Amino acid sequence: MALIEVEKEGKDMAGTQEKQPVRVRGFPFYPHFLLREVVVMCIVIGSILMLSSLFPAGLLKPADPFDTPSPIFPEWYYLYVFGFLKFWTFDVGPIPAKIIGVTLPMVVWYGLLIMVPFIDRNPSTELKDRKFAVGMGIVVLLGILYFTYYSIVNH
Amino acid sequence: MNLPDMIYKWFDDRFKISELLPPIVKHPAPEKVTSNPLYCLGGTAFLCFLILAGSGIFLAFYYKPTPEEAYKSVEHIMTAVPMGSLIRSIHHWTANLMIAAVSLHMIRVYFMGAYKNPRELNWVVGVLLFLVATTFGFSGYLLPWDQLAFWATKIGTGIAGSIPVMGPYISLILLGGTDITADTMTRFYAIHVLILPAAIIVLLGVHFMMVRIQGISGRL
Ligand code: HEM
Repeated sequence: MALIEVEKEGKDMAGTQEKQPVRVRGFPFYPHFLLREVVVMCIVIGSILMLSSLFPAGLLKPADPFDTPSPIFPEWYYLYVFGFLKFWTFDVGPIPAKIIGVTLPMVVWYGLLIMVPFIDRNPSTELKDRKFAVGMGIVVLLGILYFTYYSIVNH
Repeated sequence: MNLPDMIYKWFDDRFKISELLPPIVKHPAPEKVTSNPLYCLGGTAFLCFLILAGSGIFLAFYYKPTPEEAYKSVEHIMTAVPMGSLIRSIHHWTANLMIAAVSLHMIRVYFMGAYKNPRELNWVVGVLLFLVATTFGFSGYLLPWDQLAFWATKIGTGIAGSIPVMGPYISLILLGGTDITADTMTRFYAIHVLILPAAIIVLLGVHFMMVRIQGISGRL
């Protein structure tokens, strides 16, 4: 295997401003890296073909605005929003429960998500030096899983 | 000189490929990136996007975005169009796989701290990509115009509509009125096949350019 070593600026150590070059061991893009990409592509395409032939996309009865079906499910990646809305039934001071139910999982959540690099000013990329960020990440993931579950059992 | 060489030389004379190619072909991929499968997730999401574009164009040849015709045209794709059922199913599964890949990619970037200096803005672009990807799913869900499509969209737009301040505007822009009608369908269709594809292509271009300029972050 043609392992190559290259000189690189120290910019890949997040946060540290050191400018002396670091040595990075690596493979050339072609053919090594490309070969790995081709293998991954085959696995992905193979899985898609298998799923599509075994479980074809469904089509229910035509839409009828006068007949509400039950249960109604959105795409799975929106379930946690539905779940949170059902879960949150408490008014907070003058703010009605429903406003919190829609604002928290959409506006506040995406607002916080987009601000992550500006909120987390800790320069370390080691898991053990980032206990707060890692803890928050796990709490949020468990929360999303929980509210997804909640929306399925309480439809 | 044989034909491939002549073609290569023709282009090389004009575009200096022999100077442009080596930096791309020899560009080193760090060892850890080549061996750790967590780094495949971004590329997998991109592959999904390409498959979605291809299968989506195929579906657009047969799909008709009106309340009278939509359901029938999807039924026609599923039963009469050669390979129609397979290609619609591919579009369906690839869409779900893309959201899964994008989510896992975001989780890996988060836990590796790959969003830190100097990559803050690439995280921001990433969150926008995540929003675009999920909105693709939301707008596509209505198009078959079956019971679930209609009612899930009714609830979804209802939730978006009750966001304080912006809600009523979001709802009006999406629905084109106060209820789900033929206007809503053409809007969702325009969003799904014109607005979001344009947005994702621009965002992906910026995302990949930043990865190329800044390199992959060096943890592990
Ligand atoms: C359509 C969706 C997306 C595609 C196709 C995509 C593609 C990629 C690719 C191919 C890479 C190279 C490294 C890798 O594959 O892991 C990358 C890196 C990166 N992506 Fe994405 N991405 C997408 C969405 C996102 C999202 C949702 C986020 C975060 C919110 C994000 C943040 C980043 C960051 C910060 C990097 C640099 C990581 C590093 O240097 O280690 N991307 N992206």
